[in-house]
Amino acid sequence: MEIIDRENHQKLYVQLIDIFKKKMGSKEWTVGSQLPTEEDLCKMYGLSRATVRAAVLELVRQGYLFRQQGKGTFVKQLATDELIMLTSFRELMLEPGVEFSTEVIAQTTMMAVGNIGNLLNISSDKHIIYIKRKTIVENKPVILQEIHIPLHICPHLLDEDITAQSLFGLFKKYKVEITRIRNYFGITYLSAEEAQAFNLTEGSPTLLLNQLFFSGETPVMYIRSVKRHDSFGFAIEFKKSASDERRFYVKR
Amino acid sequence: MPTDKRIKDVMVGIFEYPHIPYWFSIDQAMRIIKVSFISAKKYPEPLAILVFDEKYNLLGTLTLKDMLRGLEPKFMRTPTGKAQVVDEDESALSLVWDSLFAKESKDLAKKPVNEVMTPAKFFIEPGDPLTKAAYMMIHHDLILLPVLENKKKFVGLVRMIEIFDELSEAILKE
Repeated sequence: MEIIDRENHQKLYVQLIDIFKKKMGSKEWTVGSQLPTEEDLCKMYGLSRATVRAAVLELVRQGYLFRQQGKGTFVKQLATDELIMLTSFRELMLEPGVEFSTEVIAQTTMMAVGNIGNLLNISSDKHIIYIKRKTIVENKPVILQEIHIPLHICPHLLDEDITAQSLFGLFKKYKVEITRIRNYFGITYLSAEEAQAFNLTEGSPTLLLNQLFFSGETPVMYIRSVKRHDSFGFAIEFKKSASDERRFYVKR
Repeated sequence: MPTDKRIKDVMVGIFEYPHIPYWFSIDQAMRIIKVSFISAKKYPEPLAILVFDEKYNLLGTLTLKDMLRGLEPKFMRTPTGKAQVVDEDESALSLVWDSLFAKESKDLAKKPVNEVMTPAKFFIEPGDPLTKAAYMMIHHDLILLPVLENKKKFVGLVRMIEIFDELSEAILKE
């Protein structure tokens, strides 16, 4: 049985969430099976009732578990993989079926300065991985992205080839599960550098997408994307489960 | 030599130091130095920031001295980069400095750090002896030396304080 590491900097309930997820992933806890009672879980892991309850409630919120009044807590069928795939930036900002290539402009480290630290909930003396990349469609740069990931979340990303692999695939490889994405769409104006990359005039209006990715309650990545205004529409497709499907498509 | 220790035994991890890309400005670097060391009351000599390129290659180190040199008003600099020393009337000089600082230095602080950093030209390997690091530090006027594995992977830093500590220990024991 896995045990809670009290020396670990992670909060106890977060560690417990990871243990529960592993049990579900390894099918030790199968879909529909009932979890041990809170009291038993407290004894098994030597934790307080409040900690066990926090972990269970978070997994209920994330859709891994469901509770039945008077009966207990059970493992739910998951559909998170689909959610992750369909909310990747390319699917959000490019029309379906458009062929594109990626050019990595930067893959380096910096400190969590300015509002980046606030967004990722880390102090400004912590290191982050900084990635800048350009998506090219028909030889024309279409999207510019700046990606910020706290270094401790996935230090291996610094050494990975990110031109050929998706960030979601890499997160999965290193067992960082994205459970929630907060998207903000807006309009902004191209900075001199962005304008140069798009070969447009500085100050041109452009589509902005800010995305904050969470694993449980922990922010794990912040992406700022700008898309040139003179090309293509954008498509959004959210697919959570067969019974809860929403589609939204806009074309210029 | 009196010690069997190698560089890998005394080097510190690269994440002990803040990292920035070369396009950061001097004032951004100053803010980072303050948060990472000065406000936190941590003084691991030298206080420095590591400067990287887009592909995470080390370009150089930025010390407090490099930053202050970056703020130095232009006409005070000699072609060799050293400040002209005027020692006749120091009180008058301080006035000149103050007015110059107010005028020019805030603009100069917007310069990118790669214009003022100490470029990383000299490296050492994890298996090298400490005396090699001491030699390089003395002859190239360095207090911080990057450690590269197989001449490629940046794995740590060796500081003068650790080299001094080990070598002086060995001398004093004899």
